[in-house]
Amino acid sequence: MAAMKFYCDAERCIECNGCVTACKNENEVPWGVNRRRVVTIKDGEPGERSLSVACMHCSDAPCAAVCPVDCFYTTDDGIVLHDKDICIGCGYCFYACPFGAPQFPKEGAFASRGKMDKCTFCAGGPLPDNSSEEYRKYGANRIAEGKLPACAEMCATKALLAGDADMVADIYRKRMVNRASAALGKGFQLREQNIGSGVDLKGKVTN
Amino acid sequence: MSDKKQSRIRRHRKVAYSLLSLLVLTLVLPLIPYAVAEKDETAGKVFNPGTELWRDVRQRDRDVIGTTQMKSVDAGVLINEYGETWRHFRMQQLVPYGAALMGIVLSIILLFYLLRGPLRLQEEPSGKKIERFTVFERTVHWFTVAIFWLLALTGLILLYGRFVLIPILGADGFGITASACKEAHNLFGPTFLVALVLLFLTFVKDNIYARGDMLWLLKGGGMLGGGHVSAGRFNAGEKIWFWIAIIGGLVLSVTGLILVFSILGQSREIMGLSHVLHGIVALVVISVSFGHIYLGTAGVEGTLGSMTTGYVDEAWAKSHHDRWYAEVKAAEDGSDKIVDEPGLATEGKS
Repeated sequence: MAAMKFYCDAERCIECNGCVTACKNENEVPWGVNRRRVVTIKDGEPGERSLSVACMHCSDAPCAAVCPVDCFYTTDDGIVLHDKDICIGCGYCFYACPFGAPQFPKEGAFASRGKMDKCTFCAGGPLPDNSSEEYRKYGANRIAEGKLPACAEMCATKALLAGDADMVADIYRKRMVNRASAALGKGFQLREQNIGSGVDLKGKVTN
Repeated sequence: MSDKKQSRIRRHRKVAYSLLSLLVLTLVLPLIPYAVAEKDETAGKVFNPGTELWRDVRQRDRDVIGTTQMKSVDAGVLINEYGETWRHFRMQQLVPYGAALMGIVLSIILLFYLLRGPLRLQEEPSGKKIERFTVFERTVHWFTVAIFWLLALTGLILLYGRFVLIPILGADGFGITASACKEAHNLFGPTFLVALVLLFLTFVKDNIYARGDMLWLLKGGGMLGGGHVSAGRFNAGEKIWFWIAIIGGLVLSVTGLILVFSILGQSREIMGLSHVLHGIVALVVISVSFGHIYLGTAGVEGTLGSMTTGYVDEAWAKSHHDRWYAEVKAAEDGSDKIVDEPGLATEGKS
């Protein structure tokens, strides 16, 4: 059984917001709702890094744990989805989620929360695959077509990785090895290269 | 004493001093690099931007709010550490302890009813009735009751429905029920504040602490035996319930407004904290209200009529609120003379 995961490589993300645009275009999410966002830490300072974040499809999802109507479910691919016909828009998933993934269109009394919307890993929802009803409520179902999420496919620097956790981990591991060896080959201090490894020039672990 | 002997002592002393200084130096010298190194903290450290980044993302040392193009609430926060705390509170504390609290209170009331039964009147009902609550007072009371129970039931369904109602109604059926409950809770929530203000203004003048209340409390209101205890229009128990309802209701209203008006852009932390207060206070007020309902209906003979018809039997008034009865009688007689109560000063109820 696969476990689908996102990983954003902070050394590659250039804060272009292409993933955000790709997501909005692919899923035609409502105005004011952003399933994905790019956050920049230390903007304009040394050590500035950006990360693209959306639902991380947790194995032990806090949203599913606190949902008063139990509308979440995990697919065989490890993707956390929810049923908008059951969701009541209480906002508890938003309080519990570490990543701020759940989004709410403003509707109903006092412009309170409508039914929750979040990243589906481009896997639609509980309705029949690629039906118009599914597209209207949940957006695209690229997984059913054998494709990966639009955000990761569109990422120009391949910072945002999406797919089976093992494959994503393999890709990232190779990158780390390449970065370390490239730095060693040039004879630079790793701290100057900013690649975040705890190994010094002689190969000794320093932290 | 010869020179030879003196020089030997001197030599021994020199050897002793040498050994001692050698020992001290052996211990102290290796420490010097540590003392020097501490002056430059960054010298021995390799700056690791990866670690720094994730420490910032996890908000380990300080609150790090990033910048983002999104305008939504807390969009700049990458990882919300507070979420897990709130999840633990709601699922591991509020749900089980709340159920336990309500269960324990209901059990105590049932046990009390079975063991002691309802409180009876001291004398036979006289048939003569006196007015206890005016139409306005009764309207305010039942208005509050209606909104309180609408909110309490919809709130309890939202809190416990997943465990109790989903097995009965199914996920889809409960989804519709819960959706209706959420809308009703959000719509009528602000109305509760109106009821609360009316309730306060109507009943506050008789719910101020008066002499005799402490005695009533010390005697347990006569519920634990020892007969009826002297009281004014409201006894100390009723006064405590009044203030629990008012203060609890105020907390519920304020936290509820924070939760329902999510459009104002308050942070998740504020909303989570509001939910914590809202949940605890709601379950406490609901539990105490069980006691109020019991004493107003089955618990005390002849009480329910005061809130339905507005009238109570004179015997009931004499039994439970003797000082109030005396005041009403004094007012009926058209005199300001208040009947003396031995050992107790009468309160200024008109």
